[in-house]
Amino acid sequence: MKLNSLPVAATFLLASLGPTAAAEFQFWYGNTGAAETAIQNACAAFNDSQTEHKITCVGQGSYDTAMQKAIAAVRAKQHPVLIQFFDAGTLDLMLSGAVEPVAQALPDVDWSNYVTGAKSYYETSKGQLYSQPYNASTVVFYGNKEVMAKGGIDAPPQTYEALVEALRKLKTAGVECPYVTDGHPWRVLEQVAARHGAPIASRSNGYDGLDAEYQINQGLPAQHLTNLAAWHDEGLVKLDPETRAGTFSDAFNAGECAFMEASTANYSAAYKALGDKVLVGMAPVYEGTERKNTFVGGGSLWIMKGHDPEAVAAAGEFLNFVRQPEQQINLIREAAFVPVTNDVMTVMRDQNLLTDPAFGSIEAGMESLNQPGNENSRGIRLGFYVQFRDIFKEETQRAFSGEQTMQAALDNAKTRGDELLRRFQQTYSGVELP
Amino acid sequence: MPPSFAGRWTPFWLSLPMLLIVALFFYIPVYLSFWWSFTLERPFGGGSEFVGFQNYARVLSDPIFWDAAWRTLVFMVFGSTLAIIVPLILALAADRMVPLSHTARNVLIWPKGIAGASIGVVFAFIFNPFVGIMAPLNGLFPGLWNPGSDGTDAFIMLLIAHVWNGIPFNFVILLAGLQAVPRSLTQAAAIDGASPWRRIRDVQLPMIAPQLFLTFVLEFTESVVSAFALIDTMTQGGPGGATRLLVYKIYQDGFKGYDLSGAATQSAILMVFVLCLAAFQFLYLEKKVRYER
Repeated sequence: MKLNSLPVAATFLLASLGPTAAAEFQFWYGNTGAAETAIQNACAAFNDSQTEHKITCVGQGSYDTAMQKAIAAVRAKQHPVLIQFFDAGTLDLMLSGAVEPVAQALPDVDWSNYVTGAKSYYETSKGQLYSQPYNASTVVFYGNKEVMAKGGIDAPPQTYEALVEALRKLKTAGVECPYVTDGHPWRVLEQVAARHGAPIASRSNGYDGLDAEYQINQGLPAQHLTNLAAWHDEGLVKLDPETRAGTFSDAFNAGECAFMEASTANYSAAYKALGDKVLVGMAPVYEGTERKNTFVGGGSLWIMKGHDPEAVAAAGEFLNFVRQPEQQINLIREAAFVPVTNDVMTVMRDQNLLTDPAFGSIEAGMESLNQPGNENSRGIRLGFYVQFRDIFKEETQRAFSGEQTMQAALDNAKTRGDELLRRFQQTYSGVELP
Repeated sequence: MPPSFAGRWTPFWLSLPMLLIVALFFYIPVYLSFWWSFTLERPFGGGSEFVGFQNYARVLSDPIFWDAAWRTLVFMVFGSTLAIIVPLILALAADRMVPLSHTARNVLIWPKGIAGASIGVVFAFIFNPFVGIMAPLNGLFPGLWNPGSDGTDAFIMLLIAHVWNGIPFNFVILLAGLQAVPRSLTQAAAIDGASPWRRIRDVQLPMIAPQLFLTFVLEFTESVVSAFALIDTMTQGGPGGATRLLVYKIYQDGFKGYDLSGAATQSAILMVFVLCLAAFQFLYLEKKVRYER
C-alpha cells in the first residue's frame, strides 16, 4: 500500500473498498487540536507496538460531523469498524442496530475497572456496557488567582451561596467579568443537576424507558437557571458575546474573568495561558446538598456491526491498547482528559504525576466523578438529545436577553423537548430500550 | 428542417452525462426527500414507518416552523430589495460617468470572487461589538450593538452581509442594461428639459426592465437558500433563533438533530414555496416586462 504515504488518498481508497481488510482497519474520530494530536499519537503507537494489525485514524473535524458522516456511511454500508461518538449521541447509537456492545465483543475485559461516572453513561439500565469510554472529561471549577485577588478571594468557593458573595465582591472591586459561561446545557444544566442528584427528565433521565418527559422547568434545574439569569441581570455572570474574547474559555484564559465552570479538558489551554494562576476545584453545589457524582462528557469508542470477525478482533486489540494506563496517561498529558479506569489513578499516584501542574485538573475531576451516585447522576438517555440541546440554548438565550423569563424559557424548552421525545419514541416504535 | 444528427439517439447520448448528473444530485434527492416526508425515518436506517401526512401536520402546526418561515420572508423581501437597489444606484452612478466610475466598475466585481462562508467570517469580525467598526459607538452607548446577544442586531448584520454579497452580480447585469440604453434617448429627453431624476425614472428604468426582472427573480429565489453560508459562519441561527431562516432550520434538524423526516418535510415545503414564487414571477410579473426596444 504505497498510498499510505498520502493519507487523504488512502482514506478515499479505503472508503471506496467498503469494509476494511482483516489486518487493516479504520477508526473515525471527531476531535481537533491537542486532542487530535494525542489520538494520532495513540494510533501511531499502536501500529508500532505490533505488526499484525494496522489502524488508520481519520479525523472528521468535529463530533457533529463525525456523527453525520457515520450516519451516511452506515446507510451506505461503508462505515469503518471503529468510530468515536460523543456523549449526546449515545441513545441514538444504542437503538441504531448498527453497533455491537463492547462488553459483548470483548467479554474477557474487566469492565468493572472503569470509573463509575464514565461507565454509567454508556451502559444500559441492566448494566451492559455499549461503548468503551475513551477521551472523557467532566465539569470542574476554574478560578484565576490574580483576578480573584482583586476582590480579596483566595480560594474557589465550594457553594453557590459563597460564590455569589464572592462575585459581588469582585464586581464592587471593579472586575467586569466575575463569572463567565456559554450557557451550554452540558455545563449549566446536565452536570449541575447530576451533582445535586436531581433529574432533568423522568424515568431516571430516560434510562428506564423511552416514555420519559423533561423535568427541567421544576426543582433544582429551574432554580439554578433562574438564579443564573438573575446573576446575569446583576452583572455578576457574563455570557460569550458579552466578553471581549468572544467565548467563555478564551475570556477566562485571557484573564478577563475570575471564574468559569468548564470541562477538565479546558485545563491544558488555561494552564498554557495563565500558568500557576489557574486554580481548579470541584464545581460548586448549593448549601445543604449531599453531593453526587458528575458524569463524563466527550467521546467513547463504538464497535460497528457489519465487519468480519478479524476486523472486529483487530479493533478489540486497539481498544485493549488504549486502555493500558501508560496510553491513558499520554492522552491525559497531551489533552487534559481524565482517566477512565481506576488503575490509572494508582499508577499516576505512584509516579507522583498528580503534583505535576500539567495534570492540574485531574484530581478535582476524578473526585467529582467518584462521588456517590443516584439514578439521576448516571447519565442522560434521551432521544434526539442533540436537538434538545439546541432548543435549550435558544430558549435560554431569549431569557438572558430579557425577551422572556427564565421560567417561561424552561417551560417552552420542556414542551418542545417532550415533543421530540414522543417523536423519537414513535420513530423507534417496537424497539425496546436495552 | 429535420435535425441533422447522425442517429435518432445521438442527442440523447450527448446529453446523457448532464442528465445523469442532474438526476443524481437533484431528482433522486428530491424524490427521496418527498418520500421521507411521509415516513418516520431512523437516522441509521434499519426501519422507517409510513405515517402519511403526520409530518406535514406536525411541521405546519409548529410555531417554530412559522417563525422561521416568517423570518425567511422578511429576509427575502428586505434582503432582495436592498440587494437590487444598492447595485442599481451604483450602476446608475457608474453609467453616468461620475469620477472614478471606471475604477469602481472594476472594484465592485471583486466581491464576486469571495465565498459566502469567507464573507461570514470577515463580517463577523467587522461587526464584532468590541473590536469592529461599531466598537466606538458601543463605547459611547454601552450595549448599543451586540449581534451575539441581540437578535435584531444579528439580523441586520446578516442582511448587510447578504446585500454586500449580492452587489457584484446585480451590478454587472444592471450596468450592462444601462449601457445598452441608446444615448440618443436620454439626450433627447435632456433637450426636452428632463432633469437627471426624470430621465432615470421615465427613460432608463423602463428600458432596463428585463434586467431588473432577471435580478429580481434570481435574488428572490436565491435569498431563500444562499443565506446558509452566512448564517452558519456568523450566527448559527442565533441568538435565540433570531437568524434561523428555514434553510438553516432544515440543516439543524436534519444534520444536527438527526430528524431526517422533519427536515425532509420542511425541504419539500420550501421547494414548493420557491417553485410557486418562481411561477408567480414568470406567469404574472413577466407579462409586465417588455423585451423589445
